[in-house]
Amino acid sequence: MNQTANQAAEKMKKMFFRSSIKSKRRNQKIADATTFVIVVILAALVMLPLWWIIRSSLMNSLEIFKWPPQFIPTQWLFSNYVIKPTTFDFWLYLGNTLTISVPCVIFGTVTAVMCGYSFGRLRFGGKTFIFSLCVGSMLLPTMVTLIPLYIVWASFGLTDTFWPLILPYLCGGGAFNIFLIRQFIRTIPRELDEAATIDGAGHIRTLTSIIVPSIRPAIIVVSLLIFITTWNDLLQQTIYISSKENFTMALGLTAFMGSFKTDYSGMFAATALSFLPGVIVYIFGQRYFVEGIVMTGMKN
Amino acid sequence: MKSRRKRSIIAKKEQRTAYLLLIPAFLGLSFITYLPILAVFGISLTDLNVGHFIQGGTLPPVNFIGLDNFVHIFESPSVDFLNSITVTVVFSLIAVAGSIVYSMIIALLLNRKMPARGFFRAIFYIPYILPATAVMISWWFLFRYDGGLLNYILVSLGLGKSYFLSSADTAIPSLALIAVWTSGNLIVIFMAGLQNVPRVYHEAAEIDGANAWQRFWNVTIPCMTPIIFYNLLMSLVVNLQVVVPALAVTKGGPGKSTMFMTYLMYQIGFRGRQLGQAGAIAFVFFIVAAILAGILFATSKKWIFNEAGDDKK
Repeated sequence: MNQTANQAAEKMKKMFFRSSIKSKRRNQKIADATTFVIVVILAALVMLPLWWIIRSSLMNSLEIFKWPPQFIPTQWLFSNYVIKPTTFDFWLYLGNTLTISVPCVIFGTVTAVMCGYSFGRLRFGGKTFIFSLCVGSMLLPTMVTLIPLYIVWASFGLTDTFWPLILPYLCGGGAFNIFLIRQFIRTIPRELDEAATIDGAGHIRTLTSIIVPSIRPAIIVVSLLIFITTWNDLLQQTIYISSKENFTMALGLTAFMGSFKTDYSGMFAATALSFLPGVIVYIFGQRYFVEGIVMTGMKN
Repeated sequence: MKSRRKRSIIAKKEQRTAYLLLIPAFLGLSFITYLPILAVFGISLTDLNVGHFIQGGTLPPVNFIGLDNFVHIFESPSVDFLNSITVTVVFSLIAVAGSIVYSMIIALLLNRKMPARGFFRAIFYIPYILPATAVMISWWFLFRYDGGLLNYILVSLGLGKSYFLSSADTAIPSLALIAVWTSGNLIVIFMAGLQNVPRVYHEAAEIDGANAWQRFWNVTIPCMTPIIFYNLLMSLVVNLQVVVPALAVTKGGPGKSTMFMTYLMYQIGFRGRQLGQAGAIAFVFFIVAAILAGILFATSKKWIFNEAGDDKK
């Protein structure tokens, strides 16, 4: 009697326990599904502006402003993408922009790795001081340095050339990038470099053969960030570049926007085209992005 | 004795390598960052003009004119510097608050398990990597009064149309909305931070019977405060320097409602050629930014949570 009661109690307990796990799992499933739906809706909203430009770039000027607006073009006018070079010279602007950003990415990344390695691994006098100057400069607005730098470049006669836009990237590619590389290097076990040192490798050798291969995600993140920065720097491009044959993508678009306000389909086609290079570069490096930043332990 | 000398030689060699590798940083920190910031004050005390750099120019030599530039920018109604300060600060506060809340929500959502997470992460990040000029042109079109998508949505929801960028009252909030849309970089940093929140804390709280909401407020948020602080600071520095919307689309208008400080500096310094006055604007900008960052730092001690026993590196 007593035993059966005990058994029954045990059974009930088990059932209760199981059902509570089940209901918990069900709740979890509902929560996951809700999150997913919310994310899908938000993602659609975030992408809507982009779709709107692509849609408009494929319509004729009348259809663009039709009310109520159409979400999908009736005819897909890819011919809008054939823009006369006199109004928007895509290939010239792309070439010019790449002439600026490719050297910036290369020099900026290489020098950021050099400095990041120095801060992350080597011992030297004044390290804390120099490093805090470096971190502190992340807070300094670059806008304040524009006038003095303009004066320097202008006195060297470098206005209307690409040099003022490229040369600053020979200097570590920005404090944030140096910091990112340094943080990443610190997550790599020191034993690796020590093994290399025992094998007779110097510091530079250790950097190129041990450190660089192991911080590849951080290197990719840094090069992407430099690419985006140079691509977006409309203000400095406006200040330094004046002749049309030196125009970058951003300057070309601004000029198009200012002078051909009636050729809407052409302008949207040009805008859509200018989205491409960044998106392509991003797709290549995207899987490293969050990993690259997570591993640096942004915590501190 | 001998080994100590050898060790010191090795240390010296290490130090020499370190300094060699740091040459770019030395150059950058001195010539591109700190010296120009010092120089800007000097420039603001002169009547330096773009004309001084044009060969064969006929301008008289540069004069030291004391604080005249500062007096001028604050008193001249055509410069209307106080308006620029207000406009810039208001824009930054709205944009920073919006971006932080938005990117935190997205990061929390994306931190959960879901199918195609990488794909969604890319979607929310993409606005950040698009060329800023192209982004401005796209939104200018979305914001149009006649035929603009946003007004269509407003009308469909039964609300009235808005002038967005073409009215002085709505231009700043509209531009702040674009800034929020492009804050994908903050999402990445928040996500990185969320993945570093120790799981043990969540488990402990769950055992103590805390529900999801309580765990969010008492575990996630406190652990995230250092990252929130970092994002606030970086987002503030970036948004205070806002200039692309004015350069690409609004040209400071309507009226002077989007005459941001950086755009004003550009106008005065390069359109109007008055580099001295532009230097004065830059210097005041520096002070304003320093005050705002200072307020943030001063309050940070109160709300940043330090994990007890957090090992110092």
